Amino acid sequence: MSDTSDESTTLRFYGGRAASAIPIGFFIVWAIVQSGLLGIGDTSGLIVGILLGLIVGMFFVRGAWKVYADVLFDGMTQRVAATAIVAWLWAGMFAETIQAGGFVDGLVWAADVAQVGAGLFPAVTFVLAALLATGIGTGYGTAIAFTALVFPAGVAIGAAPVLLFGAILSGAVFGDNLAPVSDTTIVSAVTQNADIGGVVASRFKYAIVAAVFAFAAYLFAGQTMQGTPVDVGSAGGAGTALGLVHLLSIGVVIVTAVRGRHIVEAISWGIILSVVLNLVLGLAEASAIVAFEAPRTSGIVQALDAVPVIGALVVPVDPGNAAVSGSLYTGAVGFFPLIVLVLLIVAAAQVMQRGGGFEAIQEFLLERVATTVRRAETTMVVGTALVNAMITINTAAEIAIAPYIRTLGRRFNINGYRRANILDANTSALGYIFPWGGGLLAGFSAMQRLPEQYEWFTQAMVVNPASVFPFVFHGWFLVAVFLLAAWTGYGREYVSDRASEEVSRV
Amino acid sequence: MSRFESLFAGLTFRTSTPAFEVGDEVPAFVTGRGDDGLLVRVGDTVLELPDADPSLLDAKVQIEIESFDARTHRGTARVVDVLEEAE
Repeated sequence: MSDTSDESTTLRFYGGRAASAIPIGFFIVWAIVQSGLLGIGDTSGLIVGILLGLIVGMFFVRGAWKVYADVLFDGMTQRVAATAIVAWLWAGMFAETIQAGGFVDGLVWAADVAQVGAGLFPAVTFVLAALLATGIGTGYGTAIAFTALVFPAGVAIGAAPVLLFGAILSGAVFGDNLAPVSDTTIVSAVTQNADIGGVVASRFKYAIVAAVFAFAAYLFAGQTMQGTPVDVGSAGGAGTALGLVHLLSIGVVIVTAVRGRHIVEAISWGIILSVVLNLVLGLAEASAIVAFEAPRTSGIVQALDAVPVIGALVVPVDPGNAAVSGSLYTGAVGFFPLIVLVLLIVAAAQVMQRGGGFEAIQEFLLERVATTVRRAETTMVVGTALVNAMITINTAAEIAIAPYIRTLGRRFNINGYRRANILDANTSALGYIFPWGGGLLAGFSAMQRLPEQYEWFTQAMVVNPASVFPFVFHGWFLVAVFLLAAWTGYGREYVSDRASEEVSRV
Repeated sequence: MSRFESLFAGLTFRTSTPAFEVGDEVPAFVTGRGDDGLLVRVGDTVLELPDADPSLLDAKVQIEIESFDARTHRGTARVVDVLEEAE
């Protein structure tokens, strides 16, 4: 918690501590109107919403507005935002490069050979996304990679787009919740003074129950909700099987991440291998990976175009059409609007934190609501959900709510493992359910580029973020498991039942 | 506890009012103040610490149960050791 006692840095509002929620509250209303009511899935539009919210909030500040501006800067420079941004950029470049190498066509071929029809595809996708996310520890990266790669393959064979997107997000939830190298797992353990290994082991009993129900739900819904198979031309033909060689690229990322390397290093190795495979096996030309589309009238361009190796990256075009292009470019650029949005949201969250909004919520919950252990645990679930609705980067939301979960849990001597599990499961789940959530928008950003990449992929196949939330089955089941666990005592442990091992800080 | 055993730890439906035996020594956070001194609340069970130092509020302590009524879920205990100072 920040120190708010210093008069020069105290952020006070007309209307009291609750008014510190105005920027985020304005944004949430904007997001609901834009995405939910009007059906406009435009991330850049949400940026306008949060910008206006920040301006409106400023007029409620008592005293110098400079303090408010400084708080915005403090929020935007937080490490959690940078972590999410790095995951998006690297995963975006990786997924796009694999895509340039025909991985999607290979998947369509594999689904055909293995006779995984449209009905089974969402359930299988959920399991595979869960495995990838658990391996690499980033649900965001998984949402991006699977939406860019597996989603079009599933739509092509006739799976319902909204169900398939829900299955991908569910897999991301599973991995964010369970992966030992996931940011949310680490934050949940460290903030509740529990060891990471013990936390991961203790959360199987919740995650598996939810996953079994989610898998069954995808099987059932897959049979009843199906789209129309699309004639995708050459995709799925015998010649397209070679694209599956990029399973090696994905394998390199998983193995490197599981061996404890940073996600930047792990995905970088994946990008390097995918580029090598594309070029050596002829899956994609160098200019499909990165290209300088320069004016053909320029003498330098003509000279460079004729140079071996370098010339492969220079593409002469008509003057006026000059641009940089290729999978590395489009993979990264697609996330620029989301990156700006996230920086502004964490700034607004910082306003609420420094303005006492979160503190007010905690006091209300502690004094009025959490009067028994069942109600305390239910409050922890609902409070985590509430904060995730406001701070849409789930790691940032988790960091904000963690001190309150610790205080509330200790008030009833609830064990650190149990507290960490309540905190992380609901953070992981809700971060992919709310239509303005970072994980959901990351997948959506990847999806928006598909109509440009595939002739057969129409705008009608793009899923509105506001329509997918009922289909994130694993997320919903995970929240339900914890609400039931709070009521029945399933998995509950007290401080006196089991001591946490020494906290391992990563 | 091995990692395999820890997979199944807590795999029960734990009561909201845990019971203690006289003489049990357990770790717990001191959670509040009552009329007769500090309190340790474990779930909805309440243990009074009549002789404890008031500065131990919010500290983690090792306590020994001195009396316990399973019907009312209340008891008394004494502080044996201070495990963590209050934050």
